[in-house]
Amino acid sequence: MSAPISKRGRIARWALNLFAAAVLLYLFTPIIWIVAFSFNEPAGRFNIAWQRFTLDNWRDPFSNQGLTEAFVQSLRIAVLSTSVATVLGSMIAIALSRYSFKGSGPLNFLLVLPITTPEIVLGSSLAAMFLDWDINRGFATVLIAHIMFQVSFVALTVRARVRGFDWTLEHAAQDLGAKPLRTFWKVTFPLILPGILAAALLSFALSIDDFIITLFNAGSLSTFPIYIDGSFKVRFPPQINVLATTILLASVIVMVVGLLWGQRSRRQQS
Amino acid sequence: MTSSQQRPSRPGRGLTRRQLLMRAGALGAAGFSLPAFLAACGGDDGASDGESLLFENWTEYIDPTEDDLIGTADRFIAATGINFTYSEAYNSNNEYFAKIQPVLGRGEIIEPDIIAPTGWMAGRLINLGWCDTLPLDQIPNAANLEDSFKNPAWDPTGEYSLPWQGGFAGIAYNIDVTGREIRTIEEMFSPEFAGRLGMNSEMRDTIGLIAMSLGIEIGSLSTFEDAAPAFEFLERAKADGFIRRFHGNDYGDDLINGNFAATFGWSGDVAQYALENDAVRFVFPESGATSWADTMVMPKGARNRDAAAKWMNFVYDPEQAAQIAAWVQYVSPVKGVREELAKIDADLADNPLLFPDEATLARTQSFAYLSDEVEAQYDEAFSRITGA
Amino acid sequence: MAKAAAIAGSTDPPQSRERRPELIGVGSLLGTGILLTAIAARWVSGVVAIGALALVAGAIVTLVMVALTGSPDTKRKLAPYGLLKPGMLWLALFYLAPLVTLFRLSLSTLPSRFAVEAEFDFNFGNFTRAFTDFGPQFTRAFIYAGIATVLTILIGYPLAYVIAFRGGRYRTLLLGIVVIPFFTSFLIRAIAWRSLLADTGQVVQLVEAFKLSGLFETLGIMNNGRILNTPAAVIGGLTYNFLPFMVLPIYVSLEKVDPRLVDAAKDLYSTSISAFRKVVLPLSIPGVFAGTLLTFIPAAGDFVNALYLGSPGTTMIGNSIQDQFLVQNDLPLASAMSFVLMAMITVFVLIYSKFFGTEDLT
Repeated sequence: MSAPISKRGRIARWALNLFAAAVLLYLFTPIIWIVAFSFNEPAGRFNIAWQRFTLDNWRDPFSNQGLTEAFVQSLRIAVLSTSVATVLGSMIAIALSRYSFKGSGPLNFLLVLPITTPEIVLGSSLAAMFLDWDINRGFATVLIAHIMFQVSFVALTVRARVRGFDWTLEHAAQDLGAKPLRTFWKVTFPLILPGILAAALLSFALSIDDFIITLFNAGSLSTFPIYIDGSFKVRFPPQINVLATTILLASVIVMVVGLLWGQRSRRQQS
Repeated sequence: MTSSQQRPSRPGRGLTRRQLLMRAGALGAAGFSLPAFLAACGGDDGASDGESLLFENWTEYIDPTEDDLIGTADRFIAATGINFTYSEAYNSNNEYFAKIQPVLGRGEIIEPDIIAPTGWMAGRLINLGWCDTLPLDQIPNAANLEDSFKNPAWDPTGEYSLPWQGGFAGIAYNIDVTGREIRTIEEMFSPEFAGRLGMNSEMRDTIGLIAMSLGIEIGSLSTFEDAAPAFEFLERAKADGFIRRFHGNDYGDDLINGNFAATFGWSGDVAQYALENDAVRFVFPESGATSWADTMVMPKGARNRDAAAKWMNFVYDPEQAAQIAAWVQYVSPVKGVREELAKIDADLADNPLLFPDEATLARTQSFAYLSDEVEAQYDEAFSRITGA
Repeated sequence: MAKAAAIAGSTDPPQSRERRPELIGVGSLLGTGILLTAIAARWVSGVVAIGALALVAGAIVTLVMVALTGSPDTKRKLAPYGLLKPGMLWLALFYLAPLVTLFRLSLSTLPSRFAVEAEFDFNFGNFTRAFTDFGPQFTRAFIYAGIATVLTILIGYPLAYVIAFRGGRYRTLLLGIVVIPFFTSFLIRAIAWRSLLADTGQVVQLVEAFKLSGLFETLGIMNNGRILNTPAAVIGGLTYNFLPFMVLPIYVSLEKVDPRLVDAAKDLYSTSISAFRKVVLPLSIPGVFAGTLLTFIPAAGDFVNALYLGSPGTTMIGNSIQDQFLVQNDLPLASAMSFVLMAMITVFVLIYSKFFGTEDLT
């Protein structure tokens, strides 16, 4: 920006930057609370009043059996649902961006719908159908529900990422004599893989954190969010903070690695 | 109990022990529990060939195993070798009912062998034909059932249910917030506490306590009109912004941390909260408190009848029941608990909240057992006020 | 494998005049989708359902057979349908069919209070009750979601602007920082706010330390010394929760604005404010539009914030649906309420799109 800046303009600039910084602080306020209280030594069953610093909770993150089981259940569901949804969603994304064909308009619309439907409607309608089918809700129904909202999400994310993809590369490979299947795995797949991975990671996070849709379809199954909801007012052990902080750290690490990897591959390309 | 103030049990061995328990629980057992994590990852724990049993109960309703103290559930496992799972699945009667209704209603079997509905809900389940009779012939200790718990309206013959614990609902308040003692419902609803009152989502306790303060006999309610003034009172209180939140058994943090000046709480809970903040008090309103009992019933088709009988027999042994009573501080339905408890904690054995004397009982009423249609009217009116 | 092989086919525009493969593709996708939805929603039952299921199987087998035996050209044309099919059928079965079921249940009646199976009898009473008994909850849901959406724009736009135009090489990093808080559990964040906003919590203490209680009371943020369990807390929770859904789309649209264009505009319009209004703002409208939808829709259906931060006087329609469905067990009524909520949101989206609409939704 080369235009000369007046004094008033400079103040405005600073005010705006300051405002942005304040917003970032606001975004992190509860996070600071969560992380800080993972180091608290609670006086009773509620870890909400600061007592004194301790590392005990971190030394023993799995001491709460119910919480641990729920956490593992969430991981299990997230791994399974993400695997299925990533495959299904990526296939849709490839079909939509790679080919032009009849009926892609309405299909695009169908794909956006689950994302623009309130979660409570998704959750209650699916649960209503399971009740209507006389199916008892539990692990399988939660898995189905998660795949449902993840498919759309993966498809749209991957499609956005492969939009600019140069499909003529495939041609080149085939002109050189490669079989179609081989072309896909050797040429296309590695190039769209980052997009697929990003979508998979984000939808994994969505699954781990989903509460509303899961609540309607869980029956007596306990996942991490459901356990927290059920227990937090009766007993709020610091291990909840520890596991939440762990998820946060893991996400940050994945994100940083992703960023570095993205930068490296961009540098390689240019 | 001549004083209207009933403070939770004070010193004594039992208390220090419970404090120890709490602190130990907060600290967590020493050592990294990776094995627990791995075990959880392993999925369904290898079903042992022996008997198994699942009991779904309310939260914080049994003495847990902590450090060198072994909880009742674990003592039972040690004594019988049964693969016993004790699960804290209850937060509210209606919520739990909504969970099991689609399964039992289709004639299928739910997972737990024993569940813990409050008396009125047990009655509903029995009337719907969703309960099995108890194998009482295999539960000799059922003879220890206290007389006052016998032949309740919801199960007149007593063949479907055994009480788990009984207790009272009254005013629970935080004296740091109120600044003074609270003795009546009117004092509780004084303007200075607007927006700082909790309200219990258990209709029979909230409407019951209010109705009693309006001079209504809650044991003989038979139509909706009988209790209408209490509903109007609650509706007005809500409109005037008195009520901060409706809660199930999840009011501990708000009471302890002073978000609630007062609410309608349950005697044993409040005794436990008072250990964390001694400003928390429990009192029978001058107009009287409600009394209730939670039960053990076996849902239709429960798979492990024999193991269930062994469990009920176990907890109806006064020695075991005393351990539970010492921790949960409710009214035990088992004869002989008082004598056993006197050995552990003399003060608790004299506490009228655990062992109500005539004077205490004279100040309590239990909510009438409503017919189906009338109950539907009550429930609908109540859920309209709770606003959800 | 045929599918994977077909993916790798050429992208040449179709030369052949033969249209049969495409017909098979569209037909099999549509047909199986509709039939599966019909079976799942129990429009058809008994023998008809078995017949329909056979048709579904037949359509899938036909598609696979044609794809396997057909010419490379046929394979290429069928490829997209084959790729789409599993995912789309999943959506038909677990998104569309449930909605149809929901609609049918909303017009049904429970024969008795604790009945499991509701009977379909065109009972519009559920819709009447949804409006008469839960009017305040619907109103609150839309008002709270509306205020929260406006707040996310007011808070999120400047942040997105600063990141896009002043972030320089740290833009990606800054965006990451915006997103990081949302990798902790949604419920734990709500619990954190509960604790921070409590009567003895840090926020109230700060407000009192700076003697701002009076100001906060007049602004309606505080009520008799309380923030927790007031409308302000619920709206604040919603705002917090959906802020990144506003920041990210606005950022994406601002990122596309060429800074040189802004400089040129500054020369042209002399003040940066009018340069912003005439150049940057119009270009970022698609982002605000997308952000509004991503914020408003989930906020209007949310019940967690009202549950954790609200009071009986601040319940939203989501709380009522959850209560009727999971506690009171009145499935037909809960279905009717869900359906009305969805219909209202759809109407809102349509009207809103009419005014601000862009194609760039996804």
